Amino acid sequence: MVLILGAVGAGKREFARSLGYRDEEMSTDVYSDAPIVTDLEETVRKAPDQAESLLVPLTKKELVLCCEVGSGVIPLQKEDRIFRETTGRICVKLAKEADSVVRLVAGIPMAIKGELPCRRS
Amino acid sequence: MMILLTGGSACGKSSYAEEICMKASGPKYYLAAMRPYGEEGQKKVERHRRLRAGKGFETIERYTDYASLKLPEAGKTALLECICNLTANEMFDEEGNQSDPYERVVQGVENLRNQCSLLVVVTNDVGSDGLRYDPGTENYIRILGKINAVLAAGADMVIEMVAGIPILLKGADPL
Repeated sequence: MVLILGAVGAGKREFARSLGYRDEEMSTDVYSDAPIVTDLEETVRKAPDQAESLLVPLTKKELVLCCEVGSGVIPLQKEDRIFRETTGRICVKLAKEADSVVRLVAGIPMAIKGELPCRRS
Repeated sequence: MMILLTGGSACGKSSYAEEICMKASGPKYYLAAMRPYGEEGQKKVERHRRLRAGKGFETIERYTDYASLKLPEAGKTALLECICNLTANEMFDEEGNQSDPYERVVQGVENLRNQCSLLVVVTNDVGSDGLRYDPGTENYIRILGKINAVLAAGADMVIEMVAGIPILLKGADPL
C-alpha cells in the first residue's frame, strides 16, 4: 500500500493517474473493490469513532489518498478538532504500515518513506 | 544543541521529540506549556503523560515566563512543548488582554537553551489553512510564524513531521 498525502488541491489524484490508474478505480468507499481509496479525511469526518476499524481494509489497498488537515488554527468546534486529530492519527498509523508514503506539494511528489511507486504496466 | 520540531496537529511530533530525548543520558525535563482547559485539555495532558510514562522525564508545568526559569540541574536534556501554547499564553492573559509575545517567547527559549546540552522544542504550523479569523487570531498566526522562523534560524536541526515521518529541513538527522 502506498499512502499519498498532501493539502487540498496538491495533486494527489493527478499523481495516481500518472501511475496509470483510471478514475473508475478510485472510490471514497473503503469497503469497495476499488484498488484506490480517495478522500479518506471525509470518511473520517463522517464517523471519527470508526476510524480505527478502517485500518485493516486500508492496508489492503494499492493507493490511499488523504488530505493533510492539521496545519491550521485549532478549530473552535469540538467535532472539527476531533476530525483533525483523528485524521492525523490514522495517517501516522497508515504511514507505519505503508510500503511507501508520497507527499504532494504543489503537484510535486516526494517520497518521504520508501520509493516513489513505478508506473503500472 | 537545539532541535526544532514542527508539523500540523496529530502528526507524531511528541513521540518523535521524546525519542530524540531518550537517546540522551541523564536527567530529562519535560516543560509543559499547555494550560489544560476543560475536559478535552485534561485528556490531552493525560495522553501526553501516558506517552511519557517510564521514560524518565521530570515534568515542569509552566505556562509563561520561561525567560526567568532556572532548571534544577544545568547541562541536561529538556523538551519544551509547545511554542504555540506558550505564544498564546504570553499573548492573551486570563482577562483576554493582548500583548506582543515575541520577545518573551524567544528570550524564554534562549534562556532554556543556555541551560541545556540538548533542547528539543516542539512547535506547530497553524498558518496553512488560508482562512480569515478575528484580528487577535490573525495576529497570533502571524507572530507564531515569525517566532518559528527565528527559532529555526537559530536551531541546529529543524524537522517537519508528516504522518509520523521526520522530514529534515535543516541540519543532520538526530536519530
